[in-house]
Amino acid sequence: MIRDITIGQYYPADSVLHRLDPRLKLSGTLLFIISIFLFDTFYGYIAVTVFLVSVIKMSKVPLKYIMRGLKAIIVILLFTMFFNLFLTQGDVLVRLGFLKITRQGLYSAIFMGIRLTYLILGSSLMTFTTTPNQLTDGLEKLLSPLRRIKVPVHEIAMMMSIALRFIPILMEETDKIMKAQMARGADFETGGVIKRAKSLVPLLVPLFVSAFRRANDLAMAMEARCYHGGDGRTKMKPLRYHRIDYFAYLILLIYMTIVIAISVIENRLPSFL
Amino acid sequence: MQIIFDNVHYVYSSGTSFEKHALKGINLKINKGEFIGLIGHTGSGKSTLIQHMNGLIKATSGKIYFNGEDIYDKNFDMRTLRSKVGLVFQYPEHQLFETTVYKDVSFGPKNLGLDKLEVDLRTYEALKMVGIGDDLIDASPFELSGGQKRRVAIAGILAMQPEVLILDEPTAGLDPRGRDEILDQIAKLHKEKNITVILVTHSMEDVAKYVDRILVMNNGNLVMDEEKVKIFSRYKELEKMHLAAPQVTYVVNALKEKGIPVSTDVTTVDEAKNEILKVFKDKIQKI
Ligand SMILES: Nc1ncnc2c1ncn2[C@@H]1O[C@H](COP(=O)(O)OP(=O)(O)OP(=O)(O)O)[C@@H](O)[C@H]1O
Ligand SMILES: [Mg+2]
Repeated sequence: MIRDITIGQYYPADSVLHRLDPRLKLSGTLLFIISIFLFDTFYGYIAVTVFLVSVIKMSKVPLKYIMRGLKAIIVILLFTMFFNLFLTQGDVLVRLGFLKITRQGLYSAIFMGIRLTYLILGSSLMTFTTTPNQLTDGLEKLLSPLRRIKVPVHEIAMMMSIALRFIPILMEETDKIMKAQMARGADFETGGVIKRAKSLVPLLVPLFVSAFRRANDLAMAMEARCYHGGDGRTKMKPLRYHRIDYFAYLILLIYMTIVIAISVIENRLPSFL
Repeated sequence: MQIIFDNVHYVYSSGTSFEKHALKGINLKINKGEFIGLIGHTGSGKSTLIQHMNGLIKATSGKIYFNGEDIYDKNFDMRTLRSKVGLVFQYPEHQLFETTVYKDVSFGPKNLGLDKLEVDLRTYEALKMVGIGDDLIDASPFELSGGQKRRVAIAGILAMQPEVLILDEPTAGLDPRGRDEILDQIAKLHKEKNITVILVTHSMEDVAKYVDRILVMNNGNLVMDEEKVKIFSRYKELEKMHLAAPQVTYVVNALKEKGIPVSTDVTTVDEAKNEILKVFKDKIQKI
């Protein structure tokens, strides 16, 4: 149940995507997210879909596993679509009492749904194929110019990777505590909102206690190994671009050009959809 | 038969690269009133196995019967099962959450829907059994020492008065005195109320002292299921599975190899002492 949340997790597999440089994957993901918000027509949608599907295929992460990540955001997704559907002004298509659906609303609901879905798929694909360590290294390297204006880049990257690393640990912990309380007759599934909220206390208190304990332990362990922040720290495996990474940058560039071109052309042509 | 496992398989994270076949076709019968030891090396599937017994995890395939009823039947009431099969997890102190020891222990009985008086009664009784005195009853569970927390957590299950009590390494990390106190108390409970006890442990000495029958897990298989004495006589096989017999088993076997006619059926230090003394007495009498 609780294990279904896969966002931010690494999925070990042997694929081209896994081997790419994390900097490339980070900037690629950012570009992909931008491209999602560029398209608002049918052809743009096709280009983005083709790109996403082929990247997913290349990653060798099972589709079922990737899709599980969507479960966690299904509520947000439906909410967004709902509001877009009913609250957009424009040409009325259907009227249901005081609610009305407009053509513009329908489009924006569909596009919003697709965008959010792609957003989650794209970014979770990055974490599926990149270990937290690589992610930290990549982020730190990419952000390193900001160090000149006194941004604590190393610390930010470290915090992010620890947060990612803690997701599965806390998930496992939640699972364990839930089971332990269920063994004492706790019931997390039935009852009204108030009863359910109350039933979470036996879960949340031990979870927080354990999160603090773990954070404390980790801090101690890091200090015991002389961790003192980013100053003067060197890498055992410094990041280096390979030929395949340049090739991937080229593909990204082509992809972005296509999406931008489509959105420019389509906006000039009269929309036939 | 109280609990029956019929070809139970369990797979964690099935369909992903994290897939782990943790139980591989377990067949098992547990009778009412037995005191069973469950041993096996780290990761052999002990915790997975016992979580099936009160329905916390559902077998990937296979059937489990409790008092003759299929627990996966849709008319079967899981809540009753959980009230009858008490499971004390590994490191149970991590599940404490209430503001006072009393409230935490009474969480279980309250969930059973008992009236206030009965809840009170059971809570005090359980706390007494694990040796938590009146002075600590209103303390916060988070202020207690590790060993005291453990006792409170165990009391939380005892207060539900289960028919089957399963303990997953209840004494890991306790001092020898505390360990004996808790296990003695459980043995007493077993004797007086005839409850079924299943003890998961890495300590062969504990197994030797308390249980009658031993189950040995290895890589998700139930490889041995026999009386204690018989299992320990197969100590060479146990060693292959990164386990061992109690120290005295080795002592009496070594004596026997040297030609001293001791029985190797002893498992505890006391029994071994008596056995050796007996052999000496026989010898003296012959002279
Ligand atoms: N929640 C889980 N998800 C995935 N795999 C798991 C999970 N829990 C246990 N496993 C795996 O299943 C196998 C059996 O685990 P289990 O906890 O039953 O072992 P155990 O015999 O209790 O070990 P220990 O003596 O260390 O407590 C192990 O290989 C473990 O890695
Ligand atoms: Mg275990």
